[in-house]
Amino acid sequence: MDSNIIIKLNNVNFYYGNNRALTDISMTFRKNKVTALIGPSGCGKSTLLRLLNRMNDLIDGTRVEGEILFEEKNIYDPEIDPVEIRKKVGMVFQKPNPFPKTIYNNIAYGPKLASNNTGDINTLVEQSLKQAVLWDEVKDILNQSAMKLSGGQQQRLCIARALAMKPDILLMDEPTSALDPISTAKIEELIEELKKNYTIIIVTHNMQQAARISDETAFFYLGNLVEYNKTEKIFTNPDVKHTEDYITGRFG
Amino acid sequence: MTRHIKEIIIKYVFFSFALVSIVVLGMIVFSLFREGVPIFKVVSLKDFLFGTEWYPTFDPPLFGIFTLIVGSLIVTIFATLLAVPLGVMTAIYISEIAPRAIKEILKSIIEMLAGLPSVVLGFFGMVVVAPWLQNTFDLPTGLNIVNASMILALMAVPTISSISEDALYAVPHEFKEASYALGATRFETIAKVIVPAALSGITTAVMLGMARAIGETMVVLMVAGGAAAIPESIFDSVRPMPASIAAEMGETPYRSAHYHALFATGMVLFFLTLAFNLIADYVSHKFKQTGSATP
Ligand SMILES: Nc1ncnc2c1ncn2[C@@H]1O[C@H](COP(=O)(O)OP(=O)(O)OP(=O)(O)O)[C@@H](O)[C@H]1O
Ligand SMILES: [Mg+2]
Repeated sequence: MDSNIIIKLNNVNFYYGNNRALTDISMTFRKNKVTALIGPSGCGKSTLLRLLNRMNDLIDGTRVEGEILFEEKNIYDPEIDPVEIRKKVGMVFQKPNPFPKTIYNNIAYGPKLASNNTGDINTLVEQSLKQAVLWDEVKDILNQSAMKLSGGQQQRLCIARALAMKPDILLMDEPTSALDPISTAKIEELIEELKKNYTIIIVTHNMQQAARISDETAFFYLGNLVEYNKTEKIFTNPDVKHTEDYITGRFG
Repeated sequence: MTRHIKEIIIKYVFFSFALVSIVVLGMIVFSLFREGVPIFKVVSLKDFLFGTEWYPTFDPPLFGIFTLIVGSLIVTIFATLLAVPLGVMTAIYISEIAPRAIKEILKSIIEMLAGLPSVVLGFFGMVVVAPWLQNTFDLPTGLNIVNASMILALMAVPTISSISEDALYAVPHEFKEASYALGATRFETIAKVIVPAALSGITTAVMLGMARAIGETMVVLMVAGGAAAIPESIFDSVRPMPASIAAEMGETPYRSAHYHALFATGMVLFFLTLAFNLIADYVSHKFKQTGSATP
Protein backbone atom coordinates (compact mmCIF):
# COMPACT_ATOMS: atom_id res chain seq x y z
CA MET A 1 0.00 0.00 0.00
CA ASP A 2 1.21 3.45 -0.95
CA SER A 3 2.58 5.12 2.19
CA ASN A 4 0.40 8.15 1.57
CA ILE A 5 -2.68 6.03 1.92
CA ILE A 6 -4.08 5.46 5.38
CA ILE A 7 -7.39 3.74 4.64
CA LYS A 8 -8.35 1.59 1.73
CA LEU A 9 -11.82 0.25 1.03
CA ASN A 10 -12.15 -2.77 -1.23
CA ASN A 11 -15.60 -3.54 -2.62
CA VAL A 12 -17.47 -2.60 0.53
CA ASN A 13 -21.17 -3.30 0.79
CA PHE A 14 -23.10 -2.37 3.88
CA TYR A 15 -26.57 -3.50 4.96
CA TYR A 16 -29.04 -2.34 7.59
CA GLY A 17 -31.01 -5.59 7.85
CA ASN A 18 -31.93 -6.28 4.24
CA ASN A 19 -31.44 -2.72 3.08
CA ARG A 20 -28.24 -2.09 1.28
CA ALA A 21 -26.98 1.38 2.26
CA LEU A 22 -23.60 1.22 0.49
CA THR A 23 -22.90 -0.51 -2.78
CA ASP A 24 -19.52 -1.78 -3.81
CA ILE A 25 -17.45 1.11 -2.52
CA SER A 26 -13.75 1.06 -3.32
CA MET A 27 -11.74 4.11 -2.43
CA THR A 28 -8.66 5.25 -0.57
CA PHE A 29 -8.13 8.01 1.95
CA ARG A 30 -4.85 9.88 1.97
CA LYS A 31 -2.80 10.60 5.02
CA ASN A 32 -2.78 14.17 6.42
CA LYS A 33 -5.39 15.32 3.95
CA VAL A 34 -8.91 16.53 4.44
CA THR A 35 -11.39 14.44 2.51
CA ALA A 36 -14.94 15.68 2.18
CA LEU A 37 -17.88 13.33 1.69
CA ILE A 38 -20.80 15.02 -0.02
CA GLY A 39 -24.11 13.95 -1.45
CA PRO A 40 -27.84 14.27 -0.88
CA SER A 41 -29.46 13.21 2.37
CA GLY A 42 -29.68 9.45 2.84
CA CYS A 43 -26.95 8.64 0.31
CA GLY A 44 -24.84 6.86 2.94
CA LYS A 45 -22.24 9.42 4.00
CA SER A 46 -22.71 8.90 7.71
CA THR A 47 -22.92 5.18 7.21
CA LEU A 48 -19.54 5.18 5.47
CA LEU A 49 -18.00 7.38 8.13
CA ARG A 50 -19.26 5.17 10.91
CA LEU A 51 -17.89 2.12 9.15
CA LEU A 52 -14.40 3.49 9.53
CA ASN A 53 -14.43 3.36 13.34
CA ARG A 54 -16.84 0.46 13.62
CA MET A 55 -19.57 2.56 15.19
CA ASN A 56 -22.08 0.72 13.05
CA ASP A 57 -21.35 -2.36 15.15
CA LEU A 58 -23.55 -0.77 17.80
CA ILE A 59 -26.61 -1.01 15.57
CA ASP A 60 -28.38 -4.36 15.59
CA GLY A 61 -28.75 -6.28 12.37
CA THR A 62 -26.06 -4.57 10.31
CA ARG A 63 -23.67 -6.41 8.01
CA VAL A 64 -20.48 -5.51 6.17
CA GLU A 65 -19.03 -7.13 3.07
CA GLY A 66 -15.65 -6.44 1.53
CA GLU A 67 -12.66 -5.15 3.43
CA ILE A 68 -11.50 -1.91 4.96
CA LEU A 69 -7.74 -1.76 5.38
CA PHE A 70 -6.27 0.50 8.01
CA GLU A 71 -2.54 0.20 8.56
CA GLU A 72 -2.60 -2.80 6.19
CA LYS A 73 -5.08 -4.70 8.37
CA ASN A 74 -8.73 -5.31 7.69
CA ILE A 75 -10.53 -3.61 10.56
CA TYR A 76 -13.44 -6.02 10.12
CA ASP A 77 -11.23 -9.03 10.64
CA PRO A 78 -12.78 -11.07 13.49
CA GLU A 79 -9.51 -10.80 15.39
CA ILE A 80 -9.62 -7.03 15.52
CA ASP A 81 -11.05 -5.45 18.64
CA PRO A 82 -13.31 -2.53 17.66
CA VAL A 83 -12.32 -0.74 20.86
CA GLU A 84 -8.73 -0.56 19.64
CA ILE A 85 -9.87 0.84 16.29
CA ARG A 86 -11.93 3.55 17.97
CA LYS A 87 -8.93 4.66 19.98
CA LYS A 88 -7.05 5.34 16.77
CA VAL A 89 -9.95 6.70 14.77
CA GLY A 90 -11.64 9.55 16.58
CA MET A 91 -15.08 10.89 15.82
CA VAL A 92 -16.90 14.19 16.14
CA PHE A 93 -20.68 14.10 15.82
CA GLN A 94 -23.18 16.38 14.17
CA LYS A 95 -24.74 17.47 17.44
CA PRO A 96 -22.19 18.50 20.07
CA ASN A 97 -22.35 15.76 22.69
CA PRO A 98 -20.15 16.56 25.67
CA PHE A 99 -20.62 14.34 28.71
CA PRO A 100 -22.48 15.91 31.63
CA LYS A 101 -19.16 16.14 33.43
CA THR A 102 -16.70 18.95 33.96
CA ILE A 103 -14.72 20.34 31.03
CA TYR A 104 -11.61 18.72 32.46
CA ASN A 105 -13.21 15.33 32.86
CA ASN A 106 -14.63 15.42 29.37
CA ILE A 107 -11.12 15.62 27.97
CA ALA A 108 -9.58 13.25 30.49
CA TYR A 109 -12.25 10.59 29.98
CA GLY A 110 -10.72 8.77 27.04
CA PRO A 111 -7.05 8.97 28.03
CA LYS A 112 -7.81 7.77 31.56
CA LEU A 113 -9.53 4.69 30.20
CA ALA A 114 -6.86 4.05 27.63
CA SER A 115 -3.84 3.93 29.92
CA ASN A 116 -3.43 2.84 33.48
CA ASN A 117 -0.69 5.32 34.18
CA THR A 118 -2.61 8.55 34.58
CA GLY A 119 0.72 10.09 33.49
CA ASP A 120 0.40 13.72 32.79
CA ILE A 121 -3.27 14.12 32.16
CA ASN A 122 -3.14 17.81 33.07
CA THR A 123 -0.71 18.54 30.29
CA LEU A 124 -2.72 16.47 27.90
CA VAL A 125 -5.92 18.34 28.77
CA GLU A 126 -4.21 21.67 28.24
CA GLN A 127 -2.59 20.55 25.02
CA SER A 128 -5.84 19.18 23.58
CA LEU A 129 -7.82 22.27 24.49
CA LYS A 130 -5.14 24.45 22.92
CA GLN A 131 -5.20 22.37 19.77
CA ALA A 132 -8.94 22.86 19.59
CA VAL A 133 -8.46 26.61 20.20
CA LEU A 134 -10.62 26.49 23.28
CA TRP A 135 -8.01 26.82 26.00
CA ASP A 136 -8.17 30.58 26.42
CA GLU A 137 -11.92 30.49 26.81
CA VAL A 138 -12.07 27.72 29.39
CA LYS A 139 -8.75 27.65 31.21
CA ASP A 140 -10.30 29.24 34.31
CA ILE A 141 -13.43 27.12 34.35
CA LEU A 142 -12.06 23.63 33.83
CA ASN A 143 -14.12 22.37 36.75
CA GLN A 144 -17.35 23.72 35.44
CA SER A 145 -19.90 21.50 33.72
CA ALA A 146 -19.32 21.25 29.98
CA MET A 147 -23.07 21.51 29.51
CA LYS A 148 -22.85 25.22 30.32
CA LEU A 149 -20.69 26.03 27.29
CA SER A 150 -22.18 27.45 24.10
CA GLY A 151 -22.87 25.10 21.20
CA GLY A 152 -19.75 26.18 19.33
CA GLN A 153 -17.61 25.80 22.42
CA GLN A 154 -19.13 22.40 23.10
CA GLN A 155 -18.26 21.26 19.60
CA ARG A 156 -14.66 22.42 19.99
CA LEU A 157 -14.62 20.61 23.32
CA CYS A 158 -15.74 17.46 21.53
CA ILE A 159 -12.94 17.94 19.04
CA ALA A 160 -10.47 18.43 21.89
CA ARG A 161 -11.84 15.31 23.56
CA ALA A 162 -11.25 13.31 20.39
CA LEU A 163 -7.76 14.79 19.97
CA ALA A 164 -6.80 13.85 23.53
CA MET A 165 -6.78 10.24 22.36
CA LYS A 166 -4.06 11.19 19.85
CA PRO A 167 -5.90 9.45 17.04
CA ASP A 168 -4.49 8.95 13.56
CA ILE A 169 -7.74 9.81 11.90
CA LEU A 170 -10.49 12.22 12.81
CA LEU A 171 -13.96 11.55 11.45
CA MET A 172 -16.37 14.48 11.47
CA ASP A 173 -20.04 14.11 10.64
CA GLU A 174 -21.43 17.53 9.74
CA PRO A 175 -19.58 19.08 12.67
CA THR A 176 -20.76 22.62 11.97
CA SER A 177 -24.35 22.06 10.93
CA ALA A 178 -25.65 22.99 14.37
CA LEU A 179 -23.45 26.06 14.71
CA ASP A 180 -23.58 29.76 13.86
CA PRO A 181 -21.29 31.22 11.15
CA ILE A 182 -18.68 32.47 13.61
CA SER A 183 -18.31 29.13 15.37
CA THR A 184 -18.30 27.46 11.97
CA ALA A 185 -15.43 29.66 10.80
CA LYS A 186 -13.50 28.81 13.94
CA ILE A 187 -13.92 25.12 13.39
CA GLU A 188 -12.94 25.41 9.74
CA GLU A 189 -9.75 27.22 10.75
CA LEU A 190 -9.14 24.51 13.26
CA ILE A 191 -9.48 21.82 10.61
CA GLU A 192 -6.91 23.62 8.43
CA GLU A 193 -4.56 23.55 11.38
CA LEU A 194 -5.24 19.95 12.35
CA LYS A 195 -4.57 18.44 8.97
CA LYS A 196 -0.85 18.94 9.50
CA ASN A 197 -0.97 16.11 12.02
CA TYR A 198 -4.17 14.25 11.35
CA THR A 199 -6.08 12.67 8.54
CA ILE A 200 -9.53 14.21 8.49
CA ILE A 201 -12.61 12.82 6.85
CA ILE A 202 -15.57 15.15 7.00
CA VAL A 203 -19.19 14.85 5.95
CA THR A 204 -20.77 18.14 4.98
CA HIS A 205 -23.85 19.48 3.26
CA ASN A 206 -22.22 22.83 2.82
CA MET A 207 -20.60 22.97 -0.64
CA GLN A 208 -18.60 26.08 0.15
CA GLN A 209 -17.27 24.40 3.22
CA ALA A 210 -16.21 21.33 1.27
CA ALA A 211 -14.55 23.55 -1.32
CA ARG A 212 -12.80 25.67 1.31
CA ILE A 213 -11.37 23.06 3.59
CA SER A 214 -10.94 19.79 1.75
CA ASP A 215 -8.19 18.44 -0.46
CA GLU A 216 -10.26 15.66 -1.93
CA THR A 217 -13.98 15.29 -2.35
CA ALA A 218 -16.12 12.22 -2.81
CA PHE A 219 -19.65 12.53 -4.16
CA PHE A 220 -22.12 9.82 -3.20
CA TYR A 221 -25.55 9.09 -4.54
CA LEU A 222 -27.92 6.36 -3.32
CA GLY A 223 -25.13 4.41 -1.70
CA ASN A 224 -22.81 4.59 -4.69
CA LEU A 225 -19.58 6.47 -5.01
CA VAL A 226 -20.22 8.59 -8.08
CA GLU A 227 -17.06 10.62 -8.31
CA TYR A 228 -13.96 10.98 -6.21
CA ASN A 229 -11.22 13.42 -7.02
CA LYS A 230 -9.22 16.46 -5.99
CA THR A 231 -11.59 19.03 -4.55
CA GLU A 232 -10.49 21.63 -7.06
CA LYS A 233 -11.28 19.33 -9.91
CA ILE A 234 -14.67 18.29 -8.48
CA PHE A 235 -15.72 21.87 -7.98
CA THR A 236 -14.42 23.31 -11.24
CA ASN A 237 -14.54 20.57 -13.77
CA PRO A 238 -16.19 17.35 -12.57
CA ASP A 239 -16.07 14.33 -14.85
CA VAL A 240 -19.61 13.26 -14.14
CA LYS A 241 -22.60 15.38 -15.06
CA HIS A 242 -24.43 14.19 -11.96
CA THR A 243 -21.74 15.64 -9.72
CA GLU A 244 -21.91 18.97 -11.44
CA ASP A 245 -25.68 19.07 -11.07
CA TYR A 246 -25.42 18.39 -7.38
CA ILE A 247 -22.69 20.92 -6.71
CA THR A 248 -24.39 23.65 -8.64
CA GLY A 249 -27.61 22.91 -6.81
CA ARG A 250 -29.58 21.71 -9.79
CA PHE A 251 -30.95 18.87 -7.70
CA GLY A 252 -31.16 18.28 -3.98
CA MET B 1 -68.74 31.42 25.55
CA THR B 2 -65.48 32.99 24.56
CA ARG B 3 -62.34 30.96 24.36
CA HIS B 4 -60.92 33.00 27.19
CA ILE B 5 -63.69 32.10 29.62
CA LYS B 6 -63.45 28.47 28.61
CA GLU B 7 -59.77 28.44 29.45
CA ILE B 8 -60.39 29.97 32.82
CA ILE B 9 -63.04 27.36 33.59
CA ILE B 10 -60.77 24.52 32.50
CA LYS B 11 -58.00 25.91 34.62
CA TYR B 12 -60.18 25.96 37.71
CA VAL B 13 -61.58 22.51 37.09
CA PHE B 14 -58.07 21.10 37.07
CA PHE B 15 -57.12 23.23 40.03
CA SER B 16 -60.01 21.92 42.09
CA PHE B 17 -59.15 18.31 41.32
CA ALA B 18 -55.60 18.96 42.41
CA LEU B 19 -56.94 20.70 45.47
CA VAL B 20 -59.00 17.66 46.52
CA SER B 21 -55.94 15.49 47.01
CA ILE B 22 -54.11 18.25 48.85
CA VAL B 23 -57.08 18.83 51.16
CA VAL B 24 -57.47 15.13 51.88
CA LEU B 25 -53.78 14.83 52.64
CA GLY B 26 -54.04 17.86 54.92
CA MET B 27 -56.95 16.31 56.76
CA ILE B 28 -55.10 13.05 57.27
CA VAL B 29 -52.06 14.83 58.64
CA PHE B 30 -54.26 16.99 60.83
CA SER B 31 -56.09 14.05 62.39
CA LEU B 32 -52.81 12.23 62.86
CA PHE B 33 -51.54 15.15 64.89
CA ARG B 34 -54.80 15.71 66.73
CA GLU B 35 -54.82 12.14 67.93
CA GLY B 36 -51.10 11.87 68.48
CA VAL B 37 -50.06 15.06 70.22
CA PRO B 38 -52.07 14.47 73.47
CA ILE B 39 -49.67 11.69 74.45
CA PHE B 40 -47.13 14.37 75.30
CA LYS B 41 -49.25 15.31 78.31
CA VAL B 42 -48.42 11.87 79.69
CA VAL B 43 -44.83 11.46 78.57
CA SER B 44 -42.18 13.95 77.45
CA LEU B 45 -41.08 14.01 73.80
CA LYS B 46 -37.63 12.88 74.85
CA ASP B 47 -38.87 9.92 76.90
CA PHE B 48 -41.25 9.00 74.12
CA LEU B 49 -38.59 8.94 71.41
CA PHE B 50 -35.68 7.63 73.43
CA GLY B 51 -37.33 5.56 76.14
CA THR B 52 -36.54 1.89 75.65
CA GLU B 53 -39.50 0.52 77.57
CA TRP B 54 -42.64 -0.04 75.56
CA TYR B 55 -45.19 -1.40 78.05
CA PRO B 56 -48.36 0.40 77.06
CA THR B 57 -50.71 -1.86 79.00
CA PHE B 58 -48.78 -1.94 82.29
CA ASP B 59 -49.81 0.05 85.29
CA PRO B 60 -48.36 2.63 85.11
CA PRO B 61 -47.84 2.28 81.34
CA LEU B 62 -44.47 3.02 79.76
CA PHE B 63 -44.43 4.68 76.35
CA GLY B 64 -40.87 4.63 75.06
CA ILE B 65 -40.75 3.82 71.35
CA PHE B 66 -36.98 3.79 70.88
CA THR B 67 -36.94 0.02 70.38
CA LEU B 68 -39.66 0.37 67.74
CA ILE B 69 -37.73 3.09 65.92
CA VAL B 70 -34.60 0.95 66.03
CA GLY B 71 -36.63 -2.00 64.76
CA SER B 72 -37.94 0.02 61.83
CA LEU B 73 -34.58 1.50 60.94
CA ILE B 74 -32.67 -1.72 61.19
CA VAL B 75 -34.97 -3.73 58.93
CA THR B 76 -35.11 -0.81 56.51
CA ILE B 77 -31.34 -0.49 56.39
CA PHE B 78 -30.75 -4.19 55.88
CA ALA B 79 -33.53 -4.34 53.31
CA THR B 80 -31.89 -1.43 51.48
CA LEU B 81 -28.49 -3.09 51.56
CA LEU B 82 -30.03 -6.10 49.87
CA ALA B 83 -32.42 -4.30 47.54
CA VAL B 84 -30.13 -1.59 46.15
CA PRO B 85 -27.57 -3.83 44.48
CA LEU B 86 -30.30 -6.18 43.31
CA GLY B 87 -32.59 -3.45 42.04
CA VAL B 88 -29.93 -1.29 40.42
CA MET B 89 -28.13 -4.21 38.81
CA THR B 90 -31.42 -5.51 37.48
CA ALA B 91 -32.21 -2.09 36.04
CA ILE B 92 -28.78 -1.86 34.39
CA TYR B 93 -29.10 -5.35 33.03
CA ILE B 94 -32.57 -4.69 31.65
CA SER B 95 -31.83 -1.33 30.12
CA GLU B 96 -28.29 -1.81 28.83
CA ILE B 97 -27.30 -5.42 28.54
CA ALA B 98 -30.10 -7.95 28.19
CA PRO B 99 -31.17 -9.22 24.78
CA ARG B 100 -34.72 -8.19 23.95
CA ALA B 101 -36.42 -11.51 24.82
CA ILE B 102 -34.83 -11.77 28.26
CA LYS B 103 -35.54 -8.11 28.87
CA GLU B 104 -39.27 -8.63 28.35
CA ILE B 105 -39.38 -11.70 30.57
CA LEU B 106 -37.48 -9.97 33.37
CA LYS B 107 -39.66 -6.91 33.19
CA SER B 108 -42.84 -8.90 33.54
CA ILE B 109 -41.42 -10.87 36.46
CA ILE B 110 -40.58 -7.62 38.23
CA GLU B 111 -44.03 -6.27 37.52
CA MET B 112 -45.55 -9.41 39.00
CA LEU B 113 -43.39 -9.01 42.08
CA ALA B 114 -44.61 -5.43 42.41
CA GLY B 115 -48.17 -6.61 42.12
CA LEU B 116 -47.96 -9.30 44.83
CA PRO B 117 -50.06 -8.34 47.87
CA SER B 118 -47.81 -7.82 50.85
CA VAL B 119 -49.77 -10.37 52.84
CA VAL B 120 -48.72 -13.00 50.31
CA LEU B 121 -45.08 -12.04 50.70
CA GLY B 122 -45.50 -12.04 54.46
CA PHE B 123 -47.02 -15.49 54.28
CA PHE B 124 -44.08 -16.67 52.20
CA GLY B 125 -41.75 -15.26 54.86
CA MET B 126 -43.66 -17.08 57.58
CA VAL B 127 -44.02 -20.52 56.09
CA VAL B 128 -40.96 -20.79 53.84
CA VAL B 129 -38.21 -18.41 54.95
CA ALA B 130 -38.78 -18.66 58.72
CA PRO B 131 -38.52 -22.46 59.05
CA TRP B 132 -35.55 -22.47 56.72
CA LEU B 133 -33.73 -19.82 58.78
CA GLN B 134 -34.63 -21.59 62.00
CA ASN B 135 -33.27 -24.93 60.83
CA THR B 136 -30.22 -23.64 59.00
CA PHE B 137 -28.94 -21.40 61.78
CA ASP B 138 -30.48 -23.33 64.66
CA LEU B 139 -32.47 -20.40 66.00
CA PRO B 140 -35.31 -20.17 68.51
CA THR B 141 -37.39 -18.41 65.84
CA GLY B 142 -37.13 -17.65 62.16
CA LEU B 143 -39.25 -14.52 62.53
CA ASN B 144 -36.50 -11.96 62.88
CA ILE B 145 -34.52 -9.10 61.34
CA VAL B 146 -33.01 -11.20 58.57
CA ASN B 147 -36.35 -12.58 57.50
CA ALA B 148 -38.10 -9.20 57.57
CA SER B 149 -35.23 -7.52 55.71
CA MET B 150 -35.25 -10.14 52.99
CA ILE B 151 -38.98 -9.87 52.41
CA LEU B 152 -38.90 -6.06 52.54
CA ALA B 153 -36.03 -6.09 50.06
CA LEU B 154 -38.15 -8.21 47.76
CA MET B 155 -40.83 -5.53 47.99
CA ALA B 156 -38.42 -2.64 47.42
CA VAL B 157 -36.69 -4.21 44.40
CA PRO B 158 -39.50 -3.46 41.91
CA THR B 159 -39.67 0.17 43.03
CA ILE B 160 -35.93 0.62 42.83
CA SER B 161 -35.45 -1.21 39.57
CA SER B 162 -38.32 0.33 37.65
CA ILE B 163 -37.49 3.92 38.63
CA SER B 164 -33.76 3.32 38.01
CA GLU B 165 -34.59 1.79 34.67
CA ASP B 166 -36.49 4.89 33.62
CA ALA B 167 -33.54 7.01 34.69
CA LEU B 168 -31.14 4.85 32.67
CA TYR B 169 -33.34 4.97 29.58
CA ALA B 170 -33.46 8.73 29.85
CA VAL B 171 -29.68 9.01 29.41
CA PRO B 172 -29.27 10.45 25.92
CA HIS B 173 -28.01 8.07 23.29
CA GLU B 174 -25.42 10.69 22.28
CA PHE B 175 -23.52 10.19 25.54
CA LYS B 176 -23.17 6.49 24.86
CA GLU B 177 -22.01 7.08 21.29
CA ALA B 178 -19.48 9.63 22.49
CA SER B 179 -18.11 7.15 24.97
CA TYR B 180 -17.83 4.28 22.52
CA ALA B 181 -16.23 6.57 19.96
CA LEU B 182 -13.49 7.30 22.48
CA GLY B 183 -12.64 3.64 22.71
CA ALA B 184 -14.57 2.81 25.87
CA THR B 185 -15.90 -0.69 26.30
CA ARG B 186 -19.53 -1.37 27.06
CA PHE B 187 -18.85 -1.80 30.76
CA GLU B 188 -16.73 1.33 30.96
CA THR B 189 -19.52 3.20 29.24
CA ILE B 190 -22.07 1.87 31.70
CA ALA B 191 -19.94 2.57 34.76
CA LYS B 192 -18.48 5.92 33.78
CA VAL B 193 -21.12 7.57 31.63
CA ILE B 194 -24.55 5.96 31.84
CA VAL B 195 -24.80 5.32 35.57
CA PRO B 196 -23.35 8.72 36.58
CA ALA B 197 -25.72 10.46 34.19
CA ALA B 198 -28.63 8.54 35.71
CA LEU B 199 -27.44 8.89 39.29
CA SER B 200 -30.01 11.40 40.43
CA GLY B 201 -32.80 9.14 39.22
CA ILE B 202 -31.19 6.09 40.77
CA THR B 203 -30.84 7.88 44.10
CA THR B 204 -34.47 8.90 43.95
CA ALA B 205 -35.34 5.29 43.27
CA VAL B 206 -33.38 4.13 46.30
CA MET B 207 -34.99 6.72 48.55
CA LEU B 208 -38.48 5.83 47.40
CA GLY B 209 -37.68 2.15 47.84
CA MET B 210 -36.59 2.89 51.41
CA ALA B 211 -39.72 4.92 52.06
CA ARG B 212 -41.71 1.95 50.83
CA ALA B 213 -39.85 -0.42 53.14
CA ILE B 214 -40.10 1.71 56.25
CA GLY B 215 -43.84 2.20 55.87
CA GLU B 216 -44.62 -1.40 55.02
CA THR B 217 -46.86 -2.90 57.68
CA MET B 218 -48.09 -6.35 56.82
CA VAL B 219 -44.70 -7.90 56.20
CA VAL B 220 -43.10 -6.66 59.40
CA LEU B 221 -46.20 -7.58 61.33
CA MET B 222 -45.97 -11.14 60.06
CA VAL B 223 -42.25 -11.88 59.98
CA ALA B 224 -40.28 -9.47 62.19
CA GLY B 225 -41.09 -11.40 65.33
CA GLY B 226 -42.60 -8.55 67.35
CA ALA B 227 -40.12 -8.22 70.22
CA ALA B 228 -39.93 -4.64 71.49
CA ALA B 229 -36.29 -4.84 72.49
CA ILE B 230 -33.01 -3.52 71.17
CA PRO B 231 -31.67 -6.36 69.03
CA GLU B 232 -28.24 -7.79 69.73
CA SER B 233 -27.89 -9.89 66.62
CA ILE B 234 -29.40 -9.91 63.16
CA PHE B 235 -31.27 -13.06 64.15
CA ASP B 236 -33.16 -11.28 66.93
CA SER B 237 -36.80 -10.37 66.62
CA VAL B 238 -37.81 -6.71 66.39
CA ARG B 239 -41.05 -4.75 66.48
CA PRO B 240 -41.00 -2.05 63.78
CA MET B 241 -43.36 0.89 64.25
CA PRO B 242 -46.01 -0.09 61.69
CA ALA B 243 -46.20 -3.61 63.18
CA SER B 244 -46.74 -2.17 66.62
CA ILE B 245 -49.49 0.16 65.42
CA ALA B 246 -51.28 -2.52 63.47
CA ALA B 247 -51.07 -5.12 66.20
CA GLU B 248 -52.18 -2.90 69.05
CA MET B 249 -54.63 -0.44 67.58
CA GLY B 250 -57.53 -2.88 67.65
CA GLU B 251 -57.27 -3.39 71.40
CA THR B 252 -56.79 0.16 72.64
CA PRO B 253 -59.73 2.07 74.10
CA TYR B 254 -60.67 5.14 72.07
CA ARG B 255 -58.58 8.16 73.08
CA SER B 256 -56.73 6.35 75.82
CA ALA B 257 -53.08 7.13 76.43
CA HIS B 258 -52.10 4.00 74.54
CA TYR B 259 -54.28 5.10 71.61
CA HIS B 260 -52.57 8.50 71.53
CA ALA B 261 -49.16 6.85 71.79
CA LEU B 262 -49.88 4.77 68.70
CA PHE B 263 -50.91 7.85 66.76
CA ALA B 264 -47.77 9.60 67.91
CA THR B 265 -45.81 6.60 66.61
CA GLY B 266 -47.62 7.17 63.32
CA MET B 267 -46.38 10.77 63.40
CA VAL B 268 -42.79 9.60 63.80
CA LEU B 269 -43.28 7.27 60.86
CA PHE B 270 -44.78 10.10 58.86
CA PHE B 271 -41.76 12.32 59.51
CA LEU B 272 -39.34 9.57 58.60
CA THR B 273 -41.09 8.89 55.30
CA LEU B 274 -41.27 12.61 54.63
CA ALA B 275 -37.54 12.87 55.25
CA PHE B 276 -36.83 10.13 52.70
CA ASN B 277 -38.99 11.86 50.13
CA LEU B 278 -37.37 15.24 50.78
CA ILE B 279 -33.90 13.73 50.46
CA ALA B 280 -34.95 12.05 47.22
CA ASP B 281 -36.24 15.35 45.92
CA TYR B 282 -33.16 17.29 47.00
CA VAL B 283 -30.76 14.77 45.51
CA SER B 284 -32.54 14.65 42.19
CA HIS B 285 -32.48 18.44 41.89
CA LYS B 286 -28.95 18.85 43.07
CA PHE B 287 -27.49 16.41 40.58
CA LYS B 288 -29.66 17.59 37.75
CA GLN B 289 -28.00 21.00 37.68
CA THR B 290 -24.45 19.89 37.28
CA GLY B 291 -25.62 17.03 35.14
CA SER B 292 -23.55 14.48 36.97
CA ALA B 293 -22.35 13.46 40.35
CA THR B 294 -18.80 13.02 39.17
CA PRO B 295 -16.96 16.32 39.45
N1 LIG C 1 -29.83 2.94 12.08
C1 LIG C 1 -30.31 2.71 10.83
N2 LIG C 1 -31.15 1.67 10.62
C2 LIG C 1 -31.65 1.44 9.41
N3 LIG C 1 -31.38 2.16 8.32
C3 LIG C 1 -30.55 3.20 8.46
C4 LIG C 1 -29.97 3.53 9.72
N4 LIG C 1 -29.20 4.61 9.57
C5 LIG C 1 -29.29 4.95 8.26
N5 LIG C 1 -30.08 4.11 7.58
C6 LIG C 1 -30.40 4.16 6.15
O1 LIG C 1 -29.21 4.11 5.42
C7 LIG C 1 -29.21 5.05 4.36
C8 LIG C 1 -28.01 5.95 4.47
O2 LIG C 1 -28.13 6.71 5.65
P1 LIG C 1 -27.01 7.71 6.15
O3 LIG C 1 -27.38 8.13 7.51
O4 LIG C 1 -25.70 7.09 5.96
O5 LIG C 1 -27.20 8.91 5.11
P2 LIG C 1 -26.44 10.30 5.05
O6 LIG C 1 -25.82 10.39 3.72
O7 LIG C 1 -25.56 10.48 6.22
O8 LIG C 1 -27.67 11.31 5.13
P3 LIG C 1 -27.73 12.74 5.85
O9 LIG C 1 -27.08 13.68 4.93
O10 LIG C 1 -29.20 13.00 5.94
O11 LIG C 1 -27.09 12.62 7.17
C9 LIG C 1 -30.53 5.78 4.44
O12 LIG C 1 -31.39 5.23 3.47
C10 LIG C 1 -31.05 5.49 5.81
O13 LIG C 1 -32.44 5.39 5.81
MG1 LIG D 1 -25.62 11.73 7.99
